[in-house]
Amino acid sequence: MSDQKIRPATVQVLRGARVMDPGQGIDRVADVLVQDGKILDVGDNLAPPDAQVVDLRGDILTPGWIDNHVHTYGTLGFADPDSIGVWQGVTSFVDAGGPGIATMDEFMALMSGRTATHLYAGPYIRPIGIIGAQFTEGDIRSLNGFPIPAWLDFMDRHPGVIRYLKIAALSGYGSGPIKMGKGLAEVIGVPLYGHIGEFQMQPENPSAYELFRVCQEGDMIAHPYHNSGARIIDRSKRLRPEVADAKQRGVLFDIAFGSYNFSWEVAEAAFGQGLPPDIISSDLQQFNAIGPAYSLSHVMSMLLRLGMSLPDVIKAVTATPARALGLQDRAGSLRRGAPAEMTVCRVVEGDFEFVDTEGGMRSADRKIVPVMTFTGGARYDTDLTRCQNEDNWLLQIADDHVPDAAAGLSPAQLDFIERMRNALSGVAWAYNLDQLDLEKAHELRAVFDAVRAEAGLPLREALLALFCCFLDRPFTMQIGLFLLHLERDFLLGRLDDVLASARTSA
Amino acid sequence: MTTMTDSKAWTKVEGLDPGQDMFPAVAKAGDKRVVIVDTGKALRGVELACPHLKAPMSKGIMMGAGSMIRCPKHNFIFRLSDGKGVNCVGLTLKVYEIRQAGDGMEILI
Repeated sequence: MSDQKIRPATVQVLRGARVMDPGQGIDRVADVLVQDGKILDVGDNLAPPDAQVVDLRGDILTPGWIDNHVHTYGTLGFADPDSIGVWQGVTSFVDAGGPGIATMDEFMALMSGRTATHLYAGPYIRPIGIIGAQFTEGDIRSLNGFPIPAWLDFMDRHPGVIRYLKIAALSGYGSGPIKMGKGLAEVIGVPLYGHIGEFQMQPENPSAYELFRVCQEGDMIAHPYHNSGARIIDRSKRLRPEVADAKQRGVLFDIAFGSYNFSWEVAEAAFGQGLPPDIISSDLQQFNAIGPAYSLSHVMSMLLRLGMSLPDVIKAVTATPARALGLQDRAGSLRRGAPAEMTVCRVVEGDFEFVDTEGGMRSADRKIVPVMTFTGGARYDTDLTRCQNEDNWLLQIADDHVPDAAAGLSPAQLDFIERMRNALSGVAWAYNLDQLDLEKAHELRAVFDAVRAEAGLPLREALLALFCCFLDRPFTMQIGLFLLHLERDFLLGRLDDVLASARTSA
Repeated sequence: MTTMTDSKAWTKVEGLDPGQDMFPAVAKAGDKRVVIVDTGKALRGVELACPHLKAPMSKGIMMGAGSMIRCPKHNFIFRLSDGKGVNCVGLTLKVYEIRQAGDGMEILI
């Protein structure tokens, strides 16, 4: 619904909102003057004669929200990532682990500059990125490869894209995998972002606690209020000492609500012992946009219910993540000269129910609702349910028809498809969830690379050519993994069908 | 009582009210419990628990004009024709054929 996107006049006064910028200690009714996409002033009775006035009396205006942990790309991503960004009041988000260093080129080709929401990457230490097969994610063998030069080269070529390095507290192996992650994070100069939670469904997996010991000031731990094995509280609900120590050292705790990792019971115990989160993020992905996560504002409302003040909730999606991600120069603040990245929201009163990832429910009488997002010189009137459209989150292989988009492939793309068809007919593979053959995914990517080089086709065009043969909607996935997911005979047959119908129509 | 088809057998479905019209519903087939779903065109049986993390498929949500079922817990979706995971490649939900038999029904299990 592009009619909701409004390009404002050059000079704008946002009038009369409760301006809340916790990073600067601002919380009062004021006007905000915006010129040429920058914040010119926050003050009283600002009224240049030629300014367009937006009446925000009764609303709350904050710096644009930053969602520190989402899934825009790959096996957990969305057809329209902005549906969990600007359309939900979020001006910047970080893809938490979708790509790894072996797939960052694919991520850039498909995602860079393509969202209205500012997109940053927190790649996974595993070279291929998140696999999307939950039982395998926790296996250290899936980290196959640790290519330091590739990481350094990427940082040189694309400064500012990677904002943290994601690692999970994997099963067993003590602190080894986490120290490898911390070492690599130091080498490339970004914070470590550590996942605890559902991989530790094995009882009392101690490697989750190693993460609290290895992390240093500025590193982040995601999913602190999960209720799987190795919780942050012990059986008597007392906070574990290594958790309190980490907090003391300046390690940041990021809610990262997700599909598995937020328990009211754990959260309430943690709050009771002085452990509110530093950062509030949603971990929105294909599997939780229709619940229980819904939106960043939904998760923020749950923290309000836990007893955080509204300014503290706002700080946890503005100033704190901006500092953690090194984005202070462009996000998280309404200071003079900053880009006009802003979110307008309301606190709505009523009877609401908030369900955690285990089915636990709490009722609440307040809810935070974003109404407008200002970013990149445009205004978006929010649409919280846009992300729930089935086409946006249900990645479905069109196995009974050729997607319409295949008819639009260029001659160069068709040439590439034909070369891929011939190359892949010489490769054997089968998908097995229990013994996932990641080496095969890398091999399929290598075939893709060789064919693409031979055909001289840009990466983006080659990726889209293959996706068009199988997907009705513009989902993304690491191409090696995508090919591995497809049954070989079906894949070859479909490429034949696409080529045959192109010949017919030519 | 039962007719063998390969290793499966047509087995009487028990435990459903005669006028049952609320699906998914839990029923018994021999010593197994299954979930009966209504695709809009026919009834179909699926296994009791999601192959992901064992959430009850009796609380599953029908999708795609009755062609798929969604697990209520983590939104994993399975095709009812063959049980294949749609958004969870490699996972399969067991699905069973159902036929009318006299006043009741039988399931191929």
